[in-house]
Amino acid sequence: MGSIADIHEKLVTKQVSCTELTKSYLEEIEKANTALNAYVCVTGEEALDTAAAVDKKIAAGEEIGMLEGVPMALKDNMSTKGIETTCCSKILTGYKPIFDAAVWEKLKAQNAVLLGKTNMDEFAMGSSCETSYFGGAMNPFDVNHVAGGSSGGAASAVGGNIAAYGLGSDTGGSIRQPAAFCGVVGLKPTYGAVSRYGLIAYGSSLDQIGPITKSVEDASIVYDAIAGADRRDSTSVGAKNGPTYPQLNNDIAGLKIGIAREYLDGVRDDVKEAVLAAAKVYESLGAQIVYFDLPILKFALPVYYIIACAEASSNLGRYDGIRYGYKTAHYNGTHDMICRTRSEGFGGEVQRRILLGTYVLSAGYYDAYYKKATDLRGTIIKAFNNAFENCDVILAPTVPMTAFEKGHATSDPVETYLTDICTVPVNIAGLPGVSVPCGFNAKGMPIGMQLIGKSFDESTILNAAYRYQLAAPENFKDTKWGVKL
Amino acid sequence: MITREDVENIALLSKLFVPEEELDGLTRSMQEIIDFADAINNAPTSGEEFDNINNLSNVFREDEVIPSYPVTEILKNAPEQAEDHFLVRNRE
Repeated sequence: MGSIADIHEKLVTKQVSCTELTKSYLEEIEKANTALNAYVCVTGEEALDTAAAVDKKIAAGEEIGMLEGVPMALKDNMSTKGIETTCCSKILTGYKPIFDAAVWEKLKAQNAVLLGKTNMDEFAMGSSCETSYFGGAMNPFDVNHVAGGSSGGAASAVGGNIAAYGLGSDTGGSIRQPAAFCGVVGLKPTYGAVSRYGLIAYGSSLDQIGPITKSVEDASIVYDAIAGADRRDSTSVGAKNGPTYPQLNNDIAGLKIGIAREYLDGVRDDVKEAVLAAAKVYESLGAQIVYFDLPILKFALPVYYIIACAEASSNLGRYDGIRYGYKTAHYNGTHDMICRTRSEGFGGEVQRRILLGTYVLSAGYYDAYYKKATDLRGTIIKAFNNAFENCDVILAPTVPMTAFEKGHATSDPVETYLTDICTVPVNIAGLPGVSVPCGFNAKGMPIGMQLIGKSFDESTILNAAYRYQLAAPENFKDTKWGVKL
Repeated sequence: MITREDVENIALLSKLFVPEEELDGLTRSMQEIIDFADAINNAPTSGEEFDNINNLSNVFREDEVIPSYPVTEILKNAPEQAEDHFLVRNRE
């Protein structure tokens, strides 16, 4: 199915050259992108230059790394030197960073072949990818359905086989939710495991970069490659427990998998059945399922929106039409110029979140909203710590439903926020979570389950996910699109 | 209850310009979002204080001058520039 190890093997054994491989990805992007809208910028020239360098190394008999020459994509909120980086917002059109994001620096140093920048909700604010200035990314299983969000383009590209893997960012579910919708694997690492230097900020205490891949091994390989401390991001400490790849395929007999009943409340029946069927698979592998209550979860969603919007209102203060990006054409005075630039440059959802964030931080409301939300954040963290005294991993649905039809999410903001109910607790608590395909609904749309781990325990959740993948390979399906390897 | 005046005031603080015809719609949608956020007031007060995530703490380092990006490179993204500075005109 075009896994990273397959591609590596084909390159090393000279079954295909990196240039031929890259060309076939670029050709398939050309064919599929009109329907999927996964890429907002294709970097064909850069990709072929890197591919030529990799071919030269192979021809000279040099050894190549696992990710070397593997064609991939970056979400459009990760800075790429000299390549337009817009966050899919009008306000950043034309912006070409003068530096690379830390994650891209690491992958570029390994000769990763960058195919392009992928579509996303504007400034990562959305759950359907439809707030993108360039229109939404579509689902490779059915293009009348959304790819999810905010990293919808990356999930659509990987599910559509027009990238071997992609990097997304996850503030409240933005890697895991689109991965679940598009039938692929998405890992949100522990807060602090991966440097956010060069990631355009949304909610700085919640944001984390992670891989979107075809398989669990691929997620492990890419995570190991991007994790690490970085002095340019003071919150980064790296993968404290070492690489995850050597830990895959450990025995899971005796592993305690917890299911919080609250995670199943309000979840659609087909999703609930698929997740409980996965629990049965785990029991057959010798794991032990333990049920418990986590009542504080019902406050996670408003806590998330208050904190995320407060941080966003501050982070997005930098867009003023002076230093980069879009600037209004007509104005009278500096204040008027900044206000008009921002109102014309930001879309509706971004403006709503800036307004909410400003409201909860303003005098008279700070204690009732922002302070209360951060205190509850402490309570939620403690509740997870307590839960992990009785289990090693928590199993939950990734999203309460499958991918919705296009246009559905844009009508009611509050209803759309509810789709994030299963994903936001992980960001609030800074924990790692991986979404893994666990079945299909009656219409053939993928269902995702989520494995949540203790801080810096990516190894345990990835190993548990890998054992599930081996036991239920039928849930990891290819779509009709893209490169066939 | 959030009023039109509240929204105008928040918009001013946010440096956003809300056209008169959008004010009523935005007030309604802000009210809905704030009602949703109000749910936290039903949460039990546990006395927990949020301190840090994953025991991360402040990073201190020596105040050393290190090379940064060239001014000419930084200015390439500016809508307007003059004499190695960002240019802000009062009117256009």
